[in-house]
Amino acid sequence: MTVTVKIPTPLRPVTGGLGELKVDGATVGDVLRQLDAQYKGFAERVFDANGVKRFINVYVNEDNIRDKKNMETELKAGDTISILPSIAGGCTGCAASLLAVAATSLG
Amino acid sequence: MIKIPSSILREIYDHMEASYPHECCGLMVGTSNAGDRVVHAARRCKNLNTDRAHDRYDMDPMCWLRTEREFESTAWSIIGIYHSHPDHPSRASQTDTDAALGAGMVDYSYVIVSVQKGTVASAQSWVLNESEKKFYEESLVVDDEGEGDRK
Repeated sequence: MTVTVKIPTPLRPVTGGLGELKVDGATVGDVLRQLDAQYKGFAERVFDANGVKRFINVYVNEDNIRDKKNMETELKAGDTISILPSIAGGCTGCAASLLAVAATSLG
Repeated sequence: MIKIPSSILREIYDHMEASYPHECCGLMVGTSNAGDRVVHAARRCKNLNTDRAHDRYDMDPMCWLRTEREFESTAWSIIGIYHSHPDHPSRASQTDTDAALGAGMVDYSYVIVSVQKGTVASAQSWVLNESEKKFYEESLVVDDEGEGDRK
């Protein structure tokens, strides 16, 4: 069955600038493996040894595959897979950095 | 360089001051051309980190999805992320750097705002250099010339 895959801007250099692709597959894993075969560098951006990278989210329609069956999440015709950057951060460690700067300043 | 109209910057600051002492986050939408970004809209996103919201944020992924959909038929797209550092400097932290590298966030502006005792104290914008694995500061310009283009 054919599904639509939405590619986020950070990944588009890998897909030749394409933001939307039509791919056949029965599961999310099928589709992502096909994209890896078709686009060099895709896997490095999306996967690590544990599967989808921590800072990448994959959604099928409105559902995060981490809440479903991950790569084994089943697809039906017309589904949309969205690959999204996971945006996170914060000032963890800022206090330690400030202390380091202060210590350096104090010599 | 990133150009932000004063009214949008005020919207962002209002979000941050209302969220204090927690970190807040959101997306900036506009145009990008050879490293010059112009903001035309901002969208607030939910910080899903409830355990350490005072010094961490995890943006609701649905916010990115909703914002992309909202603007997909326009000439604008997501060009940057904003977040606050309550009672800490507006510099990119190692946590910010690690997360941006993990998501491959090159060519985006990261506007970080220091909120001291509930009031915005400083704002800086940063761009990730992926090969050097660090953020570099870019110019943040308050610019109201494109204000009439806003939705």
